[in-house]
Formats: sequence, C-alpha cells, structure tokens
Amino acid sequence: MNSSTGSGGTLDAGVPQGSQPARSMAANLLSIRNLSKHYGDFRAVDNVSLDVRRGELMTFLGPSGSGKTTTLNMVAGFDTPTAGEILIDNQDISRVIPSRRNIGMVFQRYTLFPHMTVAENVGFPLMVRRVAKPQIAERVTRVLKLIRLESFGDRRPSQLSGGQQQRVALARALIYEPRLLLMDEPLGALDKRLREEIQLEIRRIHHQLDVTIIYVTHDQEEALRLSDRIAVFDNGRIAQIGAARELYDQPANAFVGAFLGNSNFLTGKIATANGGRYQVTLKDGSSIEAPARLALAPEQPVSVMFRPEKAILQSVSETSGFTNRVVGRITENVFLGDSATYEVRTASGELVTVKQPFGPSETKTRTMDEEIAVSWPHDCVHIFPIDR
Amino acid sequence: MVAATEARDTATTELARQGRTLLPALPALVFLFLAFVLPVWVLFLRSFTEPATGLGNYQSLVTDSVYLDVLVNTFFVATAVTISTLLLAFPIAWFLVIVPSRVARMVFAVILLSMWTNLLVRTYAWLVLLQDTGAINQFLMYLGLTSAPVPLVNNMVGVIIGMTYIMLPFIVLPIHATMSTLDPALMQAASIAGAKARTIFFRILLPLTLPGISAGCIMVFVMSLGYYITPALLGGVRDMMIAQLVAELIQKFLNWGLGSAAAFILLFITLAIYFAYVRLVGLVRPT
Ligand SMILES: Nc1ncnc2c1ncn2[C@@H]1O[C@H](COP(=O)(O)OP(=O)(O)OP(=O)(O)O)[C@@H](O)[C@H]1O
Ligand SMILES: [Mg+2]
Repeated sequence: MNSSTGSGGTLDAGVPQGSQPARSMAANLLSIRNLSKHYGDFRAVDNVSLDVRRGELMTFLGPSGSGKTTTLNMVAGFDTPTAGEILIDNQDISRVIPSRRNIGMVFQRYTLFPHMTVAENVGFPLMVRRVAKPQIAERVTRVLKLIRLESFGDRRPSQLSGGQQQRVALARALIYEPRLLLMDEPLGALDKRLREEIQLEIRRIHHQLDVTIIYVTHDQEEALRLSDRIAVFDNGRIAQIGAARELYDQPANAFVGAFLGNSNFLTGKIATANGGRYQVTLKDGSSIEAPARLALAPEQPVSVMFRPEKAILQSVSETSGFTNRVVGRITENVFLGDSATYEVRTASGELVTVKQPFGPSETKTRTMDEEIAVSWPHDCVHIFPIDR
Repeated sequence: MVAATEARDTATTELARQGRTLLPALPALVFLFLAFVLPVWVLFLRSFTEPATGLGNYQSLVTDSVYLDVLVNTFFVATAVTISTLLLAFPIAWFLVIVPSRVARMVFAVILLSMWTNLLVRTYAWLVLLQDTGAINQFLMYLGLTSAPVPLVNNMVGVIIGMTYIMLPFIVLPIHATMSTLDPALMQAASIAGAKARTIFFRILLPLTLPGISAGCIMVFVMSLGYYITPALLGGVRDMMIAQLVAELIQKFLNWGLGSAAAFILLFITLAIYFAYVRLVGLVRPT
C-alpha cells in the first residue's frame, strides 16, 4: 500500500519549513463562528460553528440540501456569508479572494481543463504561481506518482475514466500544498467499488501528507470509512460533531440517531425517575428503563431509540432476557448470510427491527407471524424529548 | 450552416453511388442548375472572354491601382468590422451567460428583432444618427467634446459602425453558444488553484471559447467581404468595396467581363478563407 513515496511528510520533503509564525501552530486550523447564509427568507446555513484541527480529516455528512456545499463554498470564497466569521490560523479570511486563500478543492463535477493535458492541469497552480518550468515538471511527476498515474501525463482529460479524472483533480489540488483541502462529494459520480478504492487512496494520502481535509458526503458509510471526526448537518444547522463511534453510540438527537446507522424509535412518556434511570411507559403499555442522561420531567413525551443489533429475540415464555422488553409479531424476516433481520410489529402498531448475527452459538431462525419478545439492555437506550 | 451543406453533399454522393432515390430531388436539381450553376458558369466564362479572350480582366483588377484600392478597402473594412464585432461580442456573450435566463431571453429577443427588421431601414437609421446634425454629433457637441460636427458618415467610419451593428448577432450567437456549454466550476477550480481573473480569462475562458470565436469571426469576415447596401449608403465615393465595384461595372458601364472577374475574385478569396478555416479548425470540432 505504502510503496510509492518513501519519505513521508510533505510533497516538498527537501524544503525546510521552520520559520512559521507562532499563531499557525494553534491546534485548530479552521474555525467557523456563527456562520449563516440566507437566500431571502431561506436559511441555507444557519448559525454554524465548528473547528477543524490541524491534520484532521473531517467530513460534513448530511442529507441533500442540508447546507454542506454552501458552507464549503463560503470557506473556499465562492459564496459570501450573510453573517459569521471564517478563521484560518486565527485570521479572518472572509475578505480574501479565493485565489489568495491557499486552499485546495476537488469538486463533485469533473473540472479538469479540457484543453490541457493531465500534466498541464496538475501543473496549472504552479504555473500561475510562476514556478520555474523544470521545477513544475519535477513536482508534477512526483504528485502524479502519488496518485499512481505517472504514465498519464500526456493524456487529455477526455481520455481518462471518471475515477482517474478525480484523482488528477486531487493531484491538482495537492501540488501547491494548500493548508486546507476541500472535497465536495468528489466520488459521487463513481460506482461503489471504484469509490471504495479511491477512498483508501485518499486515506493513504491524508496520512502520508498530513494535510487537513474537509470532505463533504451524504453517504454515511463513506463518512465512517474516512473521517477522524464527522459533522452531521441537518437543515443548515450542525446536529452533532464527533468521532464516528461517538456519534453512533451517543447520538445527541433523534436526527443523528436516525441518520447514522439503523435505529428503532418507539414513542412513550416519562413515568418516574429514580437512581439515574427513567421509567418510560411505551405506547403499547409496556414499561422500560433508560439511563437519565437528560433532565426530563414526568409526563414528558419522548422518543425511545435503540440499535437493531443491541436487541435479541426470545420466545414470549422465556423471561431471562434484558431489562427492557416488548412483545409483537414477526412481519418481516430477511436472511443476510452472516445475520438475519426481523421486523416485529408491537401491539401499538409500531415496528421494531432486530438484527441477529449468526455467531457460533446462535443458529435459530424465526418464522413469519411468530409471536415473539424483543428484549434489550437499558443502557443501550437513548431518549429524546418530543415537543409537546 | 456550412457544415450542414457539406454533410448534405456527401450524403448526396453516397446516394448517387447507390444509383437510386435521386428522382424525387430532380425538379429541385434542375432548378438549381438553371438558376444557379448555369448563370455562374456563364459569368465565369464571360470573365475570361469579354472584351478579349484571356486573363486580361483579372490582370487589370490586380494591377490597376483604382481596382487595387477597392480590394484593399474591402479587406480593411472586413478586418475592422471583424475586430470591432469581436470586441463587442465577447462581453455581450459573457453577459448573456451570467445574467438570469429571463434577462438573457429578453436581450436575445431584441437582437433577433433587430435582425428581422429591414436592412435598409436599419442602415438609414444609422445615416440619420451619424449625420452632421444627427443625434450623436449633437450629443458630442452638447458635452463639449467637439465644437464642429465629427464626420461620421460618407466615410469609412460610417461603414464600419453600420456594419459592426449589422454583423454583431452573427458573432454573438456562436460565441454565446460555445460559452454557455462551459461549466462555471472550471472557473472556480482555476480560481481556487490560485489563478487571478486575468489568468482565468486568458488561460481558461478564452481558449475554451475559441471554437465559437473562430466560427463567428469567419462568418462576419466573409459576409463583410461581399457586403453591399451598408457601404453604399454610409460610405463615401472613395470607400468603395468590391460588391459596389461589381454593381458599378455591370450596371453603369455594362462591363460584364470585368464585373464578373471582380465577382469571381471575391468568390475565390471567400473559398480560400473557408478552406483555410476548415484546415485549421476542422468542420467537426473536438469536444
Ligand atoms: N443560489 C441559491 N439560491 C437559493 N437557494 C440556494 C442557492 N444555493 C443553494 N440554495 C439552497 O440551499 C440549500 C443548501 O444547499 P447545499 O447545496 O448547501 O446543500 P448540500 O448539503 O450540499 O446538498 P447536496 O448533498 O444535495 O449537495 C438547498 O436547499 C438549496 O436549495
Ligand atoms: Mg452539495
């Protein structure tokens, strides 16, 4: 995997990089403060604040139209914020034109210059910086090697596949060693296999060059695969920021819980609180327990969330299982080889999905319409208040 | 337009080789032959035979200074009109690409409407505007930029202004067509990569618009070479262009031989430019 470039660090391994001002050593490379972008009454980006650490790969994850591109375009300088600040190395860059921001960008659409060869495309940022020709040639060769397209320098973009074009676009964005690299769904147009291949490549390059990257995607798998941290966007706001595991295990709200991975939602209301646990009465009458992470009053309507793989299925007669339990009938039964997923309809008509892995001991498969109990431990439950 | 003719020609020969289906086209072909090929052929012959057999007509056209002046004039006007339309058309096309499509449609409607207005009317309108007592001179004098009227008509200036206006749509349309196929993200990519506006213009926008520019330029240049009405109305006696010369020779002096020769010189030049263009750019441009 790591064969092509021996000396790690930057592309220009030979150039000393000592004399940088002290402020550039702050832990956060990019700080976005209360950033908003309004189109008329519509808030495409609504009071977003976040920090991107030096050397980090952060993904912006969110459904279509949630404001990821708009945020990215403001960082790049293609859009002007309605309000808020964008700081790079603690300096406000809102008035700096894109060409002076020293930011690299890879776009979703193919943006190689069609009238130039691959080498000319990749060398373009150095050409506009008036770097000497022999030096451009040398650096182009080096960065083409990094993306494993060293023999493609003389081709036209039209003679490349989509994946190759995006790798060349990546090379064009990396060659001038920008302090920040923005990628807006660069693999959106590629098929799954190719996407995974280039994702690995991006990870490798990220580690090799220590470059700070913001990566936009609406594919959660891609976000999980690539990122150090994920910022989840919802309707122009940030729903949560954190490492993948954190978002999965401790979703801050129902949106994050639903968007990242699969989850079950049941409605109910708080009955009592004692000993750090809530008793919650579900719609079908059953009573469950949940850790009291938020301060909620009795009678507060809540949404109860847990992951399909945290629950098990039992015969109704068995009583051994976990603290929480609902009863229902199996309405769907999908065999997936290493596991099976079941859909259970409770007495209140709500659906619960259970994912049952076939480990060394678990071999049973359940049949349709069987009456069954779903049981899950109380500490896997998240409850989110519902507005009354 | 030219490409379509070319394509049709190869299709015709293809059909002819197969020896069938030409029959329905026969009336049209007979008409074309009688109304187009035959007269041109007759004129071509007359240019070599009247008043005497030989290349005399052509020789005097390229050696006699009066006729040479006309040729030089013609090229000068066509070149000047091409340059001035290009300089105007590029920003107009750019404007039409970046404004909301509602505005663009309106501007296009104005352009087309002016194209559909009678040529004579438009040229006379310029005559009125450009004359010594016309609106333009009055405005210049009102501003105090000049004390006496600037001669804007009955000279080369008038011809170039009038023809620039008339030719403008023929170059705006192809440039706009090429430009509107460009992805704005290309400009963004260049900009974030460090290119200033000037560099983006010369390294990205201009080269990528070149097919439209060359198509428009060749169209305007070739049409200008043979233009008649505008130079006749807005030009002076000393600014004669080749089409006027042909008219003059045939209508006034009934010199069919020399007139035909002048017409064929124009045709040869046009064909030469056209083939040079095809050679350089190609009929089907790469995408
Ligand atoms: N110029 C504009 N005028 C009006 N609304 C706009 C404009 N640009 C974007 N929007 C709106 O802002 C919202 C956010 O758009 P944005 O492109 O940032 O979404 P996104 O998260 O990148 O989505 P996707 O995953 O589909 O790319 C969308 O609802 C979009 O319609
Ligand atoms: Mg987007």
